[in-house]
Amino acid sequence: MKQETIYLDYAATTPVDPRVAEKMACCLTCEGTFANPASAHAPGRKARGAVERARSQVAALVGAEPGEIVFTSGATESDNLAIKGAAHFYSDKGRHLITSRIEHKAVLDTCKQLERDGFEVTWLKPDADGLIQPSVVEQALRPDTVLVSIMHVNNEIGTVNDIAGIGRVTRERGVLLHVDAAQSAGKVPIDLKTLCVDLMSFSGHKLYGPKGIGALYVRREPRVQLDPLMHGGGHEHGMRSGTLATHQIVGMGEAFELARQELPQEAKKLNALREKLWRGLHAAVPQALLNGHPTQRVCGILNVAFPGIEGESLLFACGAIAVSSGSACTSADQQPSFVLRALGRDDQLAGSSIRFSIGRFTTDDEVEAAVRVVGQEYHRLLDLAPAG
Amino acid sequence: MFPGSEYNTEVWSHFRAPRNSGVFPADASGVVAGAAGARKHGRAVEFQLQVNAAGTVVDCRYRVFGCPATIALCSMASEALKGGPLCDAARYSVVQLADRLGLVAEKRAAAIVVEDAIRAAVRRYNNNSPPQLAVVKFTMES
Amino acid sequence: MMPMAIYLDHNATTPLDSRVLDAMLPWLEGVHGNPSSIHRPGRAARDALDKARAQVAALVNARPTEVVFTSGGTEADNLALKGVCHGKPGGRLLISAIEHAAIMGPAGDLGRMGWQVERVPVDGECRLKHQALQKLLDRKVRLVSVMLANNETGVLQDVQAVAAAAHGQDALLHTDAIQAAGKLPVDFAALEADLLSLSAHKFGGPRGVGALIVHRRVGLLAQISGGGQERGLRGGTENLAGVVGFGAAAELAQSELQARMRHMRRLRDALESGLHSIPGVHIFAQSAQRLPNTVQLGLAGIHGEAAVMELDRHGIAVSSGSACHSGSGQPSHVLLAMGVEEMQARSAVRISIGGGNSLEDIHELLAALKALAASHSEALEPA
Repeated sequence: MKQETIYLDYAATTPVDPRVAEKMACCLTCEGTFANPASAHAPGRKARGAVERARSQVAALVGAEPGEIVFTSGATESDNLAIKGAAHFYSDKGRHLITSRIEHKAVLDTCKQLERDGFEVTWLKPDADGLIQPSVVEQALRPDTVLVSIMHVNNEIGTVNDIAGIGRVTRERGVLLHVDAAQSAGKVPIDLKTLCVDLMSFSGHKLYGPKGIGALYVRREPRVQLDPLMHGGGHEHGMRSGTLATHQIVGMGEAFELARQELPQEAKKLNALREKLWRGLHAAVPQALLNGHPTQRVCGILNVAFPGIEGESLLFACGAIAVSSGSACTSADQQPSFVLRALGRDDQLAGSSIRFSIGRFTTDDEVEAAVRVVGQEYHRLLDLAPAG
Repeated sequence: MFPGSEYNTEVWSHFRAPRNSGVFPADASGVVAGAAGARKHGRAVEFQLQVNAAGTVVDCRYRVFGCPATIALCSMASEALKGGPLCDAARYSVVQLADRLGLVAEKRAAAIVVEDAIRAAVRRYNNNSPPQLAVVKFTMES
Repeated sequence: MMPMAIYLDHNATTPLDSRVLDAMLPWLEGVHGNPSSIHRPGRAARDALDKARAQVAALVNARPTEVVFTSGGTEADNLALKGVCHGKPGGRLLISAIEHAAIMGPAGDLGRMGWQVERVPVDGECRLKHQALQKLLDRKVRLVSVMLANNETGVLQDVQAVAAAAHGQDALLHTDAIQAAGKLPVDFAALEADLLSLSAHKFGGPRGVGALIVHRRVGLLAQISGGGQERGLRGGTENLAGVVGFGAAAELAQSELQARMRHMRRLRDALESGLHSIPGVHIFAQSAQRLPNTVQLGLAGIHGEAAVMELDRHGIAVSSGSACHSGSGQPSHVLLAMGVEEMQARSAVRISIGGGNSLEDIHELLAALKALAASHSEALEPA
């Protein structure tokens, strides 16, 4: 039981890149950037410099200006800040929001909270491939719509939404667009200079950076304003109060910098590995079904339904590989995935679906071993099960 | 908090290598079977008991669709019932077994399904004595 | 090592304890799961989180299940105030006049949402006026928030008495214990508080992590929704390395508390006796019960920010008021609340001592202050 775990759960969280960890450790120790960046003295100024450099690094990956990046404690906070912040700030203009049923819990729960606070939310359904089409967004727009929130890449099935198309629709109608890019930054090219996106959430730990740090892009031109989620101290242009963790920010900056340098080669490598994984699984388990659009997908995520067996058992039987059923943030409650249900998979197929997500440190050997284990355990469990 | 994360080594071992799994050959004598649960509800169990003329359970087989706890409970129950009198099988509490193993409350449903399948098999025996009757066809939702 | 020779701004933030760093390093790199995942790396992360939760709970005598990890003290304070008040019909909210910006900020926001926010005054020594509190308390008050130790003057409040008064009117009591933890014994149960805020980086832990201690009887509305982490009170993947560091720092603070207090008090007393020989120095709230590490002083006729800059040139890091206010040009609201004249309030300089300081640091500071006072009086009185 003590064999090495094969980690294929990069979409839940990524290991910190050693180059990132080195920068962070340095920041925590020798370089003395430990001081409070809000302090006036020399250590404070040094910490501030490190924070601003990281801000530029994050901005550079996504074609933003450094001044448009607000650091937060993570993508969940970014989503909360973007959606609650915009909804409250612009509530005089209207109290209607549009989002989709396949968003991350951070967006779903935030919108549900706003419903309780008296806002109206339209919940878009994805098409059979798991995509939210711009035309569907357009049809849902109303005169009192203030914000649309649609994710870039779905965390469970890896499909990529056409946010350029959605942005054209919302911009033309003068409605703000928020995009959760926690799963896409560093994997899919993003250029906020050309995209009509007003708010975009990022995560550190989905891109080989530390946990507990994220960022929100807040467009300056045309200017977007927000009611802050947290008050006191007025850090981050008043949009996010609280002493910033310099080492965390530095880690995120370095992670985004590395992603910018390595994105093209890395995407190519991961696409090939993902294809290898899918071909292997399909050969081992011919009954296996791919969840989500076959081509419009991010490089690292593969979601597969395994008919005829129970999901938790498969997950545990494959204990040597770390994967997820549904997204990690929902796996604790063991509900059949809402995303897969939205795609039209029944409870049983949704329940026996597994998300494999590969990343920077995944090897050919690991993919082959995973295929072997899943194939073997699938057939073992299938043999154990009664006919039906 | 995390179903499964607290499975102890005993549960784990039975899940990894279930004992007595499968079905008896069609021509095996003294076999009664019972079923409970449904796939669409997440767990389904078919349990077979082989009973001799003296009313002793000489062997068990089962087929199971479900979570690791359901599989392990089938395996452990089959071990426990083997060699005992059928009247004990009728009273055997899989729910108590689950509690002894420290399974979380949500897994009680798994124990109930396994228990129901065993009791259904015992009922077949009682309704169809003499026991030499061939394999009893069971009905199952699927 | 450190670019700054002498760091005396520990109430702003403390250097990370090297033992805490050692505890964190394994969690900074390598494969680590998401604590919400059920596979092995995820469970290992969950175990680390639970251990840290127990360590933090032990520091303040709370139950592990009462600990809600946040991204820091500011978020903890925001969660306490807004979490209690949001989603409820408005009512009254009492805060002391000397609270940190992380309390005044959300209180102000609640005020804009229709809550009636009132400030309980303090006396000239920065102590809460209990009679005024009693007068302000009635059945409409939902929450009272009074800090355990003030970040600028270091003055301690009798939170236990405030809690009793608040509970007498069915109000909840929140205390910001961010400056007190690690410098004094803090006992959540004995204080009978309902909510208590902590921050790791004020006692040798990392920045970007804090906690709100939430008593079981308190219902709270999450301010960051999504994912259901932290008993549904705080969504978002946990800052694992940070939380582990917080736990380690809490354990160290607990085991070394008496020694740390003795050390800080010794340096503080040396500083204060030295200050008496410098003309024009005034120590704020000196006769009140204070933290063992904090001295807030004023140099007559010298602007606090100028003094900070001058000390900075000597390689000594101190602060004028709180770090969060520096550069704002506003005099300290704490000193104003104490009835200090605006001119004198503007002269405030805060010295906050830490475990890494030595008696020599204090002597250097005293020499620098002496020189500063002398050069200033020369400038004022040309020979």
